[in-house]
Amino acid sequence: MSAAVCLKDVQVVVGNRVLLDVPRLDIEPGERVAIVGPNGAGKSTLLKVIGALVEARQGRVEVLGRSLGPGDEAADRRALRRDTGLLMQGLHLVPRLSARENVLIGALARLRGAQALRSWCRWYPQDLVAEADAALAALGLGDRGDTRADRLSGGERQKVALARLQMQRPRLLLADEPTSALDPAATREVCHALCAVAEAPGRTLLTVVHDLELLPLLATRIMGMAEGRVRWDRPLGEVTPSLLQALYERHAADVTPAAPPEPAPVIRLASA
Amino acid sequence: MTGLAHRQPSQPVRWGLPAGRAGFATLVAFYAVLIALCLATLVAAGDLSFGRNPWDNLLKTVGDFARPSFLDVWFGPERLEYRSDDGAVLRVENRREVEASFLAAVGRATWVTFQIATLGSLLAALMALPLAMLVARNLRVPRPLAWAAKGVLDVSRAVHTLVFGLILVGIVGLGPTAGVLAIALHSMGTYGKLFAESIESLDMAAVDAVRATGAGEAQVFFHGVWPSVLPQFVSHHLYVWEFNIRDSTILGLIGAGGLGLLISEAVSLFQWSRLATLLNVVVVLVMAFDSLSRRIREALL
Repeated sequence: MSAAVCLKDVQVVVGNRVLLDVPRLDIEPGERVAIVGPNGAGKSTLLKVIGALVEARQGRVEVLGRSLGPGDEAADRRALRRDTGLLMQGLHLVPRLSARENVLIGALARLRGAQALRSWCRWYPQDLVAEADAALAALGLGDRGDTRADRLSGGERQKVALARLQMQRPRLLLADEPTSALDPAATREVCHALCAVAEAPGRTLLTVVHDLELLPLLATRIMGMAEGRVRWDRPLGEVTPSLLQALYERHAADVTPAAPPEPAPVIRLASA
Repeated sequence: MTGLAHRQPSQPVRWGLPAGRAGFATLVAFYAVLIALCLATLVAAGDLSFGRNPWDNLLKTVGDFARPSFLDVWFGPERLEYRSDDGAVLRVENRREVEASFLAAVGRATWVTFQIATLGSLLAALMALPLAMLVARNLRVPRPLAWAAKGVLDVSRAVHTLVFGLILVGIVGLGPTAGVLAIALHSMGTYGKLFAESIESLDMAAVDAVRATGAGEAQVFFHGVWPSVLPQFVSHHLYVWEFNIRDSTILGLIGAGGLGLLISEAVSLFQWSRLATLLNVVVVLVMAFDSLSRRIREALL
């Protein structure tokens, strides 16, 4: 089986700033990887390069056996999107659809033939609706299925997005600070749900984490990043507090008060 | 693979104006000069005139309006005798019957007016929808196509309904058809602008989220785009429809059918009491539709 993610000599440069510089990175199918590091370390950029949201001008990016690049076909692109599940802050729910319909969006790519045509009128097969309701109920939102997405709280929205991800059944999950807007109880729930989605064999989970206490929950392999580079990459058991501290302290020493703010991340998918 | 781009918000054009308050004061000064110029030329040409005896005319008109003709259906004389100067009876008229039949004609004309506005609005909305999709900037249609569509919409918005009506009466003849087409051609511009704006205000992050699940383009449209814009489209449709009901009451003036025909008749025969009836009908019609459409639009939000 080919690697889930394979990067070679990848560089992302904006202006004269190197946002990301990864000479080599391999992630095998089924691995659970967490990326830690201070702000501006390139964690999100790395995730976006793998999620095909940001194009690397230099180097080779291979995801799930397909190489990303300007020449790829629309059908390939769609297949890859279907297999890559994104949980990111910039990707919203559709505000006017109900929570259940938002969850069902995750299953759209699975529909074929007449079912796909019927989905245009938001008419879904019965078993999918049951699956969506079960996914919502598992996250404690069983009674919110008919609520419009724009009437849900921030935590509830994140959970609906997670249920949508569950319906998508991706082989590669990319989560960018999935719990940043949640209270401690919801944080645990979302982490457990995320792991449950990644439970099936061969599914790979790649998470950017700020809350270091969540590391044991989410990952078995930790990558420490700073200044666009991977500083270290080792199993969870070998990560020591001093290693983590060094990662953040070095950054703290570097930061000058006049550090330019990071440009707001813009997520934009080219139409297939 | 992806067109990631920070699109810079377009810089406002400054026209070399000073910034802040000074700039605003300059604008106000320009405006004052413009007003003074308009007034001065009007006075210089001797066109600023209220006629010979505006007050008498005003009082007479108000007096006529105070007794709208439809009251005659219940309170009018049943035998109104028209006599010649020497006292011979020329004609006897039952005012109640005459006004009742006029009221029936008003009813028919009201329906025609409503017809023109309704069909014209629907036709306009249908024509505007594809053009709006071409114009909306976030759908990234090839520029020349977008410019062409924008040109069509601008022209249709610039030409008044009455002007379209005059041209169309010459082409398709007198009657409501000309009215329907005139309304449609002018409102198309308004619809196009409103529709394009609601497409542009779309939450593209939500659309991208749908696309990121691997959904096909049609699925992305029906799940990400359509549910968000449909309520706004319906709201805009009701708004323009409402507007067109007002507009179509005038269209009869140029022979395109409806209440306007009766209005121009009443004006040319100096039948102010009938004009008062007609204006009453127009006001009631417009107000009733306004309140109805407002309620529907509020329910949609």
